[in-house]
Formats: sequence, structure tokens, C-alpha cells
Amino acid sequence: MSLFSFLGTLEIGLIYGLVAIGVYLTFRILDFPDLTVDGSFTLGAAVTATLIVMGVNVFLATVAGTIAAACAGLVTAWLNLRFDILHLLASILTMTALYTINLRVMGKPNVALIMEPTILTPFEGIFGLPDMYMRVIFVAVCALIGGLLVAWFLKTQYGLAMRAVGSNKRMAQANGIVVKQKVYAGLALSNGLVGLAGALFAQTNGFADSTMGIGTIVVGLAAVIIGQSLFASRSMYVIVLSCIVGSVLYRLAVSMALNADFLGFSASDLNLITAVLVALALIFPKLRNEWKAKQAARKEA
Amino acid sequence: MISCKELHVTFNRGLPTEKLALRGIDLTIPQGEFVTVIGSNGAGKSTLLNTIAGDINSTKGQILFGERDVTKVPATGRTADIARVFQDPLAGTCGDLTVEENMALAYGRGKRGRLSPALNTKTREIFREQLARLNLGIEDRLESQMGLLSGGQRQSVSLLMSALQPSTILLLDEHTAALDPKTAALIMDITSQIIAEKQLTVMMVTHSMRQALDHGSRTIMLHEGKIIFDLAGEQRANYEVKDLLNLFAQARTDGEELDDDKLLLGA
Repeated sequence: MSLFSFLGTLEIGLIYGLVAIGVYLTFRILDFPDLTVDGSFTLGAAVTATLIVMGVNVFLATVAGTIAAACAGLVTAWLNLRFDILHLLASILTMTALYTINLRVMGKPNVALIMEPTILTPFEGIFGLPDMYMRVIFVAVCALIGGLLVAWFLKTQYGLAMRAVGSNKRMAQANGIVVKQKVYAGLALSNGLVGLAGALFAQTNGFADSTMGIGTIVVGLAAVIIGQSLFASRSMYVIVLSCIVGSVLYRLAVSMALNADFLGFSASDLNLITAVLVALALIFPKLRNEWKAKQAARKEA
Repeated sequence: MISCKELHVTFNRGLPTEKLALRGIDLTIPQGEFVTVIGSNGAGKSTLLNTIAGDINSTKGQILFGERDVTKVPATGRTADIARVFQDPLAGTCGDLTVEENMALAYGRGKRGRLSPALNTKTREIFREQLARLNLGIEDRLESQMGLLSGGQRQSVSLLMSALQPSTILLLDEHTAALDPKTAALIMDITSQIIAEKQLTVMMVTHSMRQALDHGSRTIMLHEGKIIFDLAGEQRANYEVKDLLNLFAQARTDGEELDDDKLLLGA
């Protein structure tokens, strides 16, 4: 793998680290499997790209993309909490609706940002760094700040209440926690992070496309699972940061599989590789435990 | 003080499965009184407790805490006054969180969730001190996951959690039923200590007639959503389990007898 493609992989892995944190919040913290992210990733990218092309300040455009995605999360939460639609189904409905909304936002299937200013523009040439390094450092800082903020948040009274809601609703309620409010907040936060990732992706890669969000949930989940099977910890900081590391490792694994000539994979084999990697990450902890149990049994005998 | 006026609760109203769970409960419990609630399965004991706690909305009637009408107040709005311990030891605590995180949740009961750290040295000290009362060694396991504790230990912790914040009312829903006799006795001891210390108004649902007579100062029995008798004072002091059974038989005009083994065993 060339240095250039390695840095590119790192960059995408770090951006999807934010997606992984968002997915961790819904799947693990709130116990609310949320597929909205497939749509909200694109929504974040679409809103940001469209606003940038219209001449809006890049930071404002990024914030707007993030907020739009957070609102998509609120819609899913509302369908589930107000009308008792199964969480999975509610999120699929929002995701489906978002596909059209994204096309409407952009007015066409994709928006190019090649000649436009982006959030990276102010950092170009900073400290004399070549652009390809600067971009990786920039997204790494973004992912790290996002991760640290989320970890800090989960350790506050509000964050702890949110974790209680996902773990035991009845107990949460008996302790005066307004359950619905925490679910709304959690879905908004999660989708906001995913939307921010979409906005950063659009600006670092120079485009927003209506199909760019397909499979976001699987990638996010893969990152969470890989990260957690490698770093077993109860510390919120370790858990959240392991989502980012998991995302980077996932990208590296995919890119290595695609680049290894002896395997003979082409870019169109991406989905199979993804599925196999996620399955392996899921199988690995189980097999490890079984193996350990066997070893222990042998020792006793 | 808790007062229930003409309290009715109907489940699935208007549907073929309609069930009248409470049919006009009139009950006044003065501040500091400990009431035990008995009755066979489906009598409405848990429904009564859950309605007072706000988990279930009353169909008709009124609930007051002191002078405050809480009939329309949701469960979370009543938690400043009410602490609860559930029957299932798993229900009162979060298995995924650590012991100290669980305690911190209860410590924040009745307050708004703020963006300040949930745990600090001061709160940890309070938790350790409280847990030491149990003599179970949990005070040294603050950072253990709650799910690793045994059912009895978890129930003990939920009991302590209910007392972390000042409240006036304690609702106990068969909170010793899922425990072995020795642990159950320990839990009842701590319960009595906490109640005496905090001068709480208590309602305890129990399936054991022995426990109902041994604890508290008043016993009510529910049957089919109504209070069929209300015992207190000297009359109650002279009562034995068999008297309760007789009383129950008298109250029933259709000759129905208690068929609940647990009630008869009186353990």
C-alpha cells in the first residue's frame, strides 16, 4: 500500500470514527438500533455541500449539516416514542424518507466541491505541512475532540441518566429520569455526530452524493464491534476512543484486502469483504472464550 | 401523608379485555405510618402501589401527597416524594452500570440531570459509608459491575439507594419475596432501620401474612380491587395469621376461600 493510499485510508477511518461513536450511542448506550444513520450521513453531507456552493461560510455550513442530521434523529425518536413504532422500523422509515430529502436538498444526485472553499482551506500550508498530512491531522483532531466530548458527556449526571435509560427503563423512571427526553437527546446526538462525519467526508473528498450513505450503519457497527473486541474496558474514555480505533482498523483491513493482489479482489467486492470482516469480529470473542474454557477444563483434568 | 379518594383503575377501558383493577380505594395514611398490604394474586396490591407511584394513571379519583394533588403528575414528577424498591432484584438496579454509578443515579433522584460529573470524591465517600452498613463488603466493590452481584446483594443496594435522597414515602413491592430467608431477614432489618431513621410513610406489599403482622402498625387487605379490611392498633396487636385467614373468609360472602399457598404458609 502506498503512503498516499495509506493516509487516505486513515483519513476515512478517522471520519467514520465519528459515525462509530454515534452508532455506539444508539446501539450500546440506548439499546435503540438506529438505521437512520444511512440517511443522516448523506443529509449532513448534502446540506453542507449545498450551502457551501451557495456561498455560505464553511463553518456555518458544517454546523447546519450537523443540526439537520440531528433533526433526522429526532424524527426517528418521535415515530418510536409517540406512536410506538418499533425502533428499527421507525429508523428505516426515516432513512427511506431521507433519500428523497437528500435529492431535494441537493437538487441533483450529487454536488461537487472541487473548486469551493472547505473547512480545510484555512489550514492549507499551515506549518509548511503537505496537504495530505494536514488533512489526516485535521480529521484526527476532529474525531478526538468529538470522542472526548462524548466520553465526558457520558460521565455527567445527564449522560449517566441516558445510560440508565438504555439499561433499565423502569429503574430510570423510579429514579426520576424522564425516559423519553433521554431517548430524544441520544438520537439527536448520535445522528448529529454522523451528520458531522458526512459533512467532513464531503469536504475532504470534494463531493456529496445521494448514495454515499448506503451501508453507513454496517461500517459504524463494524468499527464498534472491532474496537470493543480488542479493548475490553469499562472506562468511557477507552470505550469511545476504541470506536475510533476500530473504525481505522476496519478501513485498513478493507483496504489491505482490496490491495492484496494474491487475493484477487476488486473494488466491487467491498460489501462481501465488509460482511466477512464484521462476521469475524463477532465470531472472534466467542471462539476466544470457548477456547479459554477448554484450556481451563484441560488444566483441571 | 398519602390520601387516595375513590380511586379507580381500569385496564383496557372500552375493550373486550377490560379489567377493573381498582374499584374505589379510599385510604388515608398519616405521615410516618407503616402500612402493610396483603391480598391474593390479582387483588390489586401492585396496581395500587404503581398508581400511587404514578406508573399507572387512575381512571377516576384523586391522589394527594399531603396537601398536594398529584393525580395528574407523571411518575418522574413524584420521585421527589417517593422512593421505591421492586420485587425483582434486577429491576431496581442497572446491571450494566457499576455499583457507584447506580448509587449516583439514585443520589440524583428528584433533581434535574445536570452536566456536572456524576461521581466525585465526596459522593463516593457517601456511597462507601452507606454500603458499609450492609456488612456485605460491597463498599470495597464500588467499581464492580452491578450485574456481578448476587440477587440479595443487588436488592440490598437498591434498598440503600431508595434512602439516599430525602423522601417522605417509601413503596416496597414484595421486596423480599425473591430472596432466601436469611437475606430476606437482613433486608427487612435494614428496611426497618431506614424507616425509623427517616420517619418515612411506608406501604409494603407482601405475600406473607407473618411479615404483614410483624412489621408496621397497620395492615390492609385488598380483594378484587377493594379494601376488605383495615386493621390497626390493639386489635391488630392480638392478631395471628389464622385470625387473618378467618377474617378473610368472613369478608367473602360467596364462601370463597384463600387458595394462595404463600398466604397460608405465612413464612
